[in-house]
Amino acid sequence: MMMKMVLRRILIGIGTLWVVSVLVFIGTSILPGDVAQIILGQSATPETLAALRAELGMDRPWFVRYFDWLGNLVTGDLGTSKAGGASISSLIAGRLGNTMFLAGIVAAISIPISVALGLLAAMYPGTWLDRIVTFATLSLISVPEFFIATFMVLILAVQLHWLPAIAYLSGNESGWQLARALAMPVITLVIVVSAQMIRMTRAGILNVMNSPYIEMAILKGVPRRRIILRHALFNAIGPIVNVIALNLAYLVSGVVIVETIFAYPGLAKLMIDGVQTRDLPLVQACAIIFCATYVVLILIADIASILSNPRLRQPK
Amino acid sequence: MNESNIKGEDIVERLDRFDELPDAPPRKRIKLSWVGKLAALVVAAWLVIVAIGPSIAPFHQMDFAGDDGFLPGDGEFLLGTDYLGRDTFSRILWGARTTIGISLLSTLGAYLIGITLGIAAAVRGGWTDTIISRINDAILSLPTIMLGLIAIAAFGSSIPILIIMAAVIYATSVFRIARALALDIMVQDFVESARARGEGTWWIVTREILPNAAMPLATDFGLRLVFVVLFISSLSFLGLGVQPPTADWGSMVRENLQGLPYGSYASIWPAVAIGSFTIAINLIVDDVSAESGGSLARKMV
Amino acid sequence: MSKRVDPKFNPALTSYNDLSQKDKELVEDAIRTGYSRRSVLKLLAATGVTLATAQNLLSTGGSAMAATPKKGGSLIMSSNLHGPDDQLDPALFTSTIDYTRGRATYNSLTQLGNDLAPQPELATEFLPNDDASEWTFKIRQGVKFHDGSTLTADDVVYSMRRHQGEASKSVIKSIMATVKEWKKTGEYEVKAILESPNADLPVLLGLFQSKIIKVDSDGGGNGTGPFKMDSFEPGVKSVHSRNADYWREGANLDAIEITAITDPVARVNALLSGDVQLATQIDPKAIRQVESTDGVSLSSIPAGLYMGICALKNASPGENDDFVKGLQYIQDRERIVSKILKGHGTVGNDQPIMSAHGADFCSELPQREYDPDKAKFHFKKAGISSAELYAAPVVAGVVDACLLAQANCAKIGFDLQVKRVPTDGYWGAVWMKEPLNTVTWNMRPTANSQLAIQFAPGAAWNDTFWNNDRMGELLKTSLSELDPAKRHAMYCEMQTLVHENSGMVIPAHVNILDGINDKVKGMPTVPLGQLGGCEWPEFAWLDA
Repeated sequence: MMMKMVLRRILIGIGTLWVVSVLVFIGTSILPGDVAQIILGQSATPETLAALRAELGMDRPWFVRYFDWLGNLVTGDLGTSKAGGASISSLIAGRLGNTMFLAGIVAAISIPISVALGLLAAMYPGTWLDRIVTFATLSLISVPEFFIATFMVLILAVQLHWLPAIAYLSGNESGWQLARALAMPVITLVIVVSAQMIRMTRAGILNVMNSPYIEMAILKGVPRRRIILRHALFNAIGPIVNVIALNLAYLVSGVVIVETIFAYPGLAKLMIDGVQTRDLPLVQACAIIFCATYVVLILIADIASILSNPRLRQPK
Repeated sequence: MNESNIKGEDIVERLDRFDELPDAPPRKRIKLSWVGKLAALVVAAWLVIVAIGPSIAPFHQMDFAGDDGFLPGDGEFLLGTDYLGRDTFSRILWGARTTIGISLLSTLGAYLIGITLGIAAAVRGGWTDTIISRINDAILSLPTIMLGLIAIAAFGSSIPILIIMAAVIYATSVFRIARALALDIMVQDFVESARARGEGTWWIVTREILPNAAMPLATDFGLRLVFVVLFISSLSFLGLGVQPPTADWGSMVRENLQGLPYGSYASIWPAVAIGSFTIAINLIVDDVSAESGGSLARKMV
Repeated sequence: MSKRVDPKFNPALTSYNDLSQKDKELVEDAIRTGYSRRSVLKLLAATGVTLATAQNLLSTGGSAMAATPKKGGSLIMSSNLHGPDDQLDPALFTSTIDYTRGRATYNSLTQLGNDLAPQPELATEFLPNDDASEWTFKIRQGVKFHDGSTLTADDVVYSMRRHQGEASKSVIKSIMATVKEWKKTGEYEVKAILESPNADLPVLLGLFQSKIIKVDSDGGGNGTGPFKMDSFEPGVKSVHSRNADYWREGANLDAIEITAITDPVARVNALLSGDVQLATQIDPKAIRQVESTDGVSLSSIPAGLYMGICALKNASPGENDDFVKGLQYIQDRERIVSKILKGHGTVGNDQPIMSAHGADFCSELPQREYDPDKAKFHFKKAGISSAELYAAPVVAGVVDACLLAQANCAKIGFDLQVKRVPTDGYWGAVWMKEPLNTVTWNMRPTANSQLAIQFAPGAAWNDTFWNNDRMGELLKTSLSELDPAKRHAMYCEMQTLVHENSGMVIPAHVNILDGINDKVKGMPTVPLGQLGGCEWPEFAWLDA
């Protein structure tokens, strides 16, 4: 039954990918200017624009370009960048690795911390411990991330010279150099993603606490720790895993500010660059990657919540 | 749970409790702790400033009042001047209207859209659900800042556009939560029994689903508000966002960052303003949810 | 100003070597931080040093510093913008990062020095015929491309013809339209036959896009330049290593890396922390921070680069001369230069020529001052009480200058709405389209080319749509006028025409601001672009 559900979800995911490609196509075509105008910039003249558009194959009607792209995609060809002429897979390959690497480190640090802190806060709601956790997480996320990042750079890199100001990778640094280069981006992102996970863990567990069976367990005198860890956490897994999945998806697609401030070549910045240069195939490729990541993560989250909630196992 | 452990009287009690369980949780009067009261005071103070800020500000938000940028605070400029020599204190007062206005309206808009569509998708199911969910997932899977970039490049960056854009973008998250909650609630016993009684869909939505989904949704409201404030300020990072010279706290943090090395607080004060408002909102939300979940938790050994 | 030459030092001293260590440093600083020769001369002259003494000081100081370039080492340069549109095709170069890569990888026929005069590069000689309607170029022999092949006239003709013809997508197509035909006249000789006489052709051949590439290629990083390209990742970085087979002495550095940090705050921080050694486009807000940090210096080169507002003359409200006058009088030029640009700029006079253009600058044209009363008068006369100005941060300080104008307009009851728009797509969608928009133009090597590109009647980039026949006539005749006084009078008339009628508002010229680690020496000061007109790769060296 689970297999059938997974298959169904994968089909749905492919549908979502297609919707994304249509949305991105529409979105980028309503933008002012096209890639030829961006490349030539202030120096564009009608004649050079026409020549460049012809060379890039942009003088063809939109539906021809869209289905051409879609046809190539099905055969696994992401096409070439309109803006620079490089193949999209070569543009993306290194950056995808960078993005996944950074996201992996941040996830490995932030998920255990967040779930633990959220549990702790939920175990003692309304107490000082709860308030301190809440207040600290709120304070950290209510400040824009570029403020936190720049503040850290000013102190740790410019003043103290402990860490490099940018995560500029040459590709052959030692583990220690890598750790130093990534320290500040990782700290910034852990702060950014942990807060929501902590709060949703806490809220999810408190919500389950209202259920009759927990109340019964309490009345039966089951110890607090056992209630929280065995019953409440298990039943709250659905929403918690969902929030974790959304935050992981964010780490892959949404960290453009951290990538910009630390000059870290990742996918999020590439996509923004793609939008700013109106490089449609590049934007499409990034969107497809982001959407696929999202679909897979949400699928995993949903499987987890279905497994944890017997009522959802038989959808009507 | 291991059923064999349950004793007879427990079962009786459990049955009693089920009888007592109403269709919807009882409306509780929300009681705030002293932290919550303090937070409510802060929010109230900011709301007053939203209303009267510009009229009590010593300078106009666009007034290049100071002779130089990044001046320290003094009698004339309470919190110093920003990078262009404008009065930071006045701009914070003016900015309250922009920042709080945009974030509240966007978040409320996101909730309105998200809850309506989410519950509609859950209740109607079928193709309605499939179509709305796919489009929703597609938008949700794209980075918010890129959606903002496209919308602003295409439609310009006016405050109404920012509000609509943020509402639509954040409605996608609300939609997911609302839809999941609604689906969850619809398989609960009390909804099944209501259906068995022959209650209509509208009755079930308003009497069963909305009240039961209210608390988890409210918990999320505070965070969603923070995200909207941060989203607007991250747009200013790309040079989009609120149009100058309109003061906006997020943009103020951004445009005065370079003052930090000179010891200028011009970017710290707006950050404090953002923090005080968003933290206060979240503390109130926490109090409310701690009230509902905590009453039981306190009974724990 | 960043590091002034101390006005109190003893004017009786005549040579750099006679100076005290402290004064030596002052002069060195002035030279190193990129004060153009002309501006330092002016500064010294103003403090009572005779011109001859000042000349001597500078040349002896300059040569003492330039005497011993060291070999070896590597550095990282950070530009302000990059992306998937980074190019290796010189015909499509439009950004500092492209120009710099191009300068490291390729050569041109001519090279523009600090004084903007064309020097021989791949052309050993360039000779005009009697009326400068034909130019003959002798191509340097024995020059090798990085792939080992030899440079011949075929490569030159191919490279130049890419800027011509219907299928050309070249950025400088309209500038190069001055040449009717490029002809190979020998294995190492090329002839350019012009549409009309042009004495400035060798200058155009030193432009960023006029690079020589291998025949039948589109550049691709295979040039004759001082550095070979080891790797190139668009939007990330490129790595270059010294070309050991270079046709002249060549680069001092072993390797350079060229990247960009797009966030201005992060770029400055990377410079201050020593993670990059060269950083372009220092945000005026960060000037004090760079100046006060040991180990880095601000390079501030006065240049023709300017911030401007185009009021389209073929649309409302710019078609109304009084409206434009009002907008010109409401510009608080002094405050823009002193507070927004922190002194690193020059007050503009609503026309693009300034002292950096040399003798052609019309200094006798009265300076338009900030005068709210006159502005109010002209706005009222025009019968216009509000306008919408599209502003994009196309050059440092321009949006802030618009906000200042807005605040000052509000004081006289004029509603100037500033609509801030993103830079991407700006040149295609807003510039030359919206009736009021912000603009910037880089400095061009000559006053004539600077004026012609923008104000020649019917020019492709006539961005205020001001078509003045007298202007067109003067642009042509001034090119062949040899009498300095008459020539100056012609240029003055052109500048006055632009100043009075063109619809251009130019509140300030913006210095080229870069941050340079003090270990980096030998930086050129060509005012045509960032970091010495992007000419640094071949000349910079590291003082370890």
